[in-house]
Amino acid sequence: MDDRMVRVVGILIDSFFPLLKAGLMFTVPLTIISFSLGMIVAFTAAIIRVLNIRILDKIVKFYVWIIRGTPLLVQLFIIFYGLPSIGITLNALVTAIIGFTLSVGAYGSETIRAAILSVPKGQWEAAHALGFSKLQTLQYVILPQAIKVAIPPMANSFISLVKDTSLAAAVTFSELFNVAQQITARTYEPLWLYMEAAFIYLMFCSVLSVLQSRLEIRFRKSGD
Amino acid sequence: MIRIENVYKSFDNLEVLKNINLTVEKGEVVCIIGPSGSGKSTLLRSLNHLERITSGRVYINDELVDERNGNGDAHKFSPKRVSEICSELGMVFQRFNLFPHMTVMENVMLASRKVKKLSKDEAAENALELLEKVGLTDKKDQYPAKLSGGQQQRVAIARALAMKPQIMLFDEPTSALDPELVYEVLDVMKSLADEGMTMLVVTHEMGFAKEVADRVVFMDNGEIVEINSPENIFSNPSHERTREFLSRIL
Ligand SMILES: Nc1ncnc2c1ncn2[C@@H]1O[C@H](COP(=O)(O)OP(=O)(O)O)[C@@H](O)[C@H]1O
Ligand SMILES: [Mg+2]
Repeated sequence: MDDRMVRVVGILIDSFFPLLKAGLMFTVPLTIISFSLGMIVAFTAAIIRVLNIRILDKIVKFYVWIIRGTPLLVQLFIIFYGLPSIGITLNALVTAIIGFTLSVGAYGSETIRAAILSVPKGQWEAAHALGFSKLQTLQYVILPQAIKVAIPPMANSFISLVKDTSLAAAVTFSELFNVAQQITARTYEPLWLYMEAAFIYLMFCSVLSVLQSRLEIRFRKSGD
Repeated sequence: MIRIENVYKSFDNLEVLKNINLTVEKGEVVCIIGPSGSGKSTLLRSLNHLERITSGRVYINDELVDERNGNGDAHKFSPKRVSEICSELGMVFQRFNLFPHMTVMENVMLASRKVKKLSKDEAAENALELLEKVGLTDKKDQYPAKLSGGQQQRVAIARALAMKPQIMLFDEPTSALDPELVYEVLDVMKSLADEGMTMLVVTHEMGFAKEVADRVVFMDNGEIVEINSPENIFSNPSHERTREFLSRIL
């Protein structure tokens, strides 16, 4: 082995645990928190759309339009670098959580809405005829069926989110990719370090893919 | 028990019900027959707010359940009142519309638990009684997809009965069934009629209408053409349109 190789291998080994740690301590929690909050937003927004609740319906449409029509990176910049000029200063973590939550909420609301609309109209009618209110119908009859439809696309967006959190590096949040950038700045080995970062993302996503297929099998078995 | 007065219903510019007047007494079984698209389902659905009428009045037990004066605003009902109205009416659909993610037992129990707020034990006891009545006690833990069409429709009847409605509405309950499964559903309906249940039944089963109905309503093109006893309507209808329809299907 020549000296260059020895040096690179040394750097890769030294940086593996800092990168993995950044992944486990920041990327993973950021993903889980944003996704959970995003799901709450998504369900709320989808239900508002489906029940056609007057003014709220318009607000939700506007929100989805803005979030889906602008780049996530630009949204993060506006929150982190833009808002301080009107007196709202948020730290990198809060910025990232808000940005990703809004994103998951907007895309997720469309997925959930589509899943709700995929449940046959006869289900609503049967529940209505039994005396259920619209909310009760959603709770007991429609959502349990819609969730089965929504799980595969939701699992996909969860996996996407793991990778999208790397955008938080651009607003100085020290997650996996940001740490890779820092080490690169010190060591001048961008090819190898970014490859190593990519490898850790790949590991995370592979684990999630396995979990995803287990989850889907389980949901296909239950019920009908 | 049901009183329908001067009811009109339009979808956009399509007039689907035209000046409907019909009264159903307690304990009566009234069958509605007529060609497809004549407004039979819409009439049934106007009783429990699945459709709102364009004009006229509908009463159940002398209490208003829908009203509108032509272009005026529809009468406003609170969600609670709508739920009450629906609880007085059981409805059975052509396509069963059972809840596929619940067992037979859960299907039958759900409304008595969540709408009537019965305890779990009361609801279960009630559900078992009804499943026995429709002959499906042994299927109580199955999911609907595992049942035949006839069995599903009997569960749907039990589910509607669980709310202890005063009136049962049937919208072509046997039209989606294989011919050999029709009788088991009709049998359940006959026994309900024998017990004195007030029933409004849209059907193409003329044998059932002949045997069970107190009166038969013939609808065509959004109008009630004729209301008559089963004997008269099938052997001696008073309208040419009724005669034509019956000669086409019998
Ligand atoms: N939701 C709706 N929107 C528009 N037209 C409808 C709707 N429901 C029913 N119709 C029309 O109303 C007419 C009567 O329908 P329906 O009451 O279902 O008749 P039937 O049950 O006698 O076959 C048909 O022409 C049908 O196409
Ligand atoms: Mg019909």
